[in-house]
Amino acid sequence: MVKKITIFTSDTCGYCQMVKSYLKAKGMGYEEVNLDRDPNRRAEAHRLSGALTVPVTVVTKVDDSQEIIVGYNLAKLAPAVN
Amino acid sequence: MSEEIKHSVVMIGAGPAALTAAIYTTREDIDTLLIEKGVVGGLAAVTDVIDNYPGFAKGVKGLSLADDLRAQAERFGAEIELGEVSDLAKEGKLIRLKTTSGDILADAILIATGCDYKKTGIPGEEKYYARGVHFCATCDGAFYREKRLVVIGGGNSAFQETIFLTRYASHIDILVRSQIKASDILQKEMQQFIVQGKVSVHLGVTPLEIVGDENGVTAVKGSDVNGSEIEFRTDGVFEFIGLKPNTSFLQSSGVGLNEQGFVITDENLETNIEGVFAAGDVRSGATMQIASASGEGATAALKIREYLEGRLHNSELKQLEVNP
Repeated sequence: MVKKITIFTSDTCGYCQMVKSYLKAKGMGYEEVNLDRDPNRRAEAHRLSGALTVPVTVVTKVDDSQEIIVGYNLAKLAPAVN
Repeated sequence: MSEEIKHSVVMIGAGPAALTAAIYTTREDIDTLLIEKGVVGGLAAVTDVIDNYPGFAKGVKGLSLADDLRAQAERFGAEIELGEVSDLAKEGKLIRLKTTSGDILADAILIATGCDYKKTGIPGEEKYYARGVHFCATCDGAFYREKRLVVIGGGNSAFQETIFLTRYASHIDILVRSQIKASDILQKEMQQFIVQGKVSVHLGVTPLEIVGDENGVTAVKGSDVNGSEIEFRTDGVFEFIGLKPNTSFLQSSGVGLNEQGFVITDENLETNIEGVFAAGDVRSGATMQIASASGEGATAALKIREYLEGRLHNSELKQLEVNP
């Protein structure tokens, strides 16, 4: 079961829009951290994902375990949120 | 057992070619499904600004154009599914698609899967992928505020994306293996950044290796026009060295591909398989322009309509022969 979803995004990132569209279509809520508007959280996105890219989707489960999906990857995102 | 669904037209891809085609087919009340595995809007959606698409005097943001194309297609009833097609095969008069959500049957297919950026294949590229090696400036550029970058490539994409990256990077070295192929207007636009000392263009440089440490990329090694070793210190590398067609899913389909993997069509944009059409960047002979892709999408839609009408007409004639 999913407790919380956080997506690290940027203003110009098309793949970020796709992650948001997918979750919206599934009726799932999420917190968005836009790194253009909140650049201080870039290091957090990097630490969590190990990558210098967005989108980074952090799916926190009810047992507080986290699944981190780098990029727009439906094969990983769909099972993580379903 | 997978569920089987039938549509009049299935478009594989949802870039400018497919979205334009879908606007036309759905306005004719032809039931149309688009299946997209990446970004709706294709490479256009991950391009910062598009300056040469007609109707936008001040240019248009790639994401904004993609959103509007999508909204326009959906307004007339186009259905967009996020998923992937793994194979297609003719089955009687229909075409069967294997997709991530099961098998789908269609009267006609439009292949409009576009292209992706080629990779250099040099050592270090795979190792530092997304940790210093990137293919999407609009996604990853923001991580390089006040950092040094290398851009590999000398075409329109390389120059357009370098201009975008200047808003973040302290300095960008563009490595061009042979000659600059970017348009004159992009070269002129780049000139101001060269004068400011923000961008340096290096001709005749062949990148040979991307090197780094546990923190990420530190340099690109290459050879210059004389074959001498040359090194560029950098925090990240963006590669824009050309395009390769997204046609790997067609390898066993029987759809005719050229040597580079682009889909071969006739003057009606139909492939060697009846009822299977192709349009946009994925098509052999494509000009890799968004305006051309949209134009081909419109043409393909009209040809698909003719094809569907012809089939209907033929089946009515056969019906008359059976029941005179």
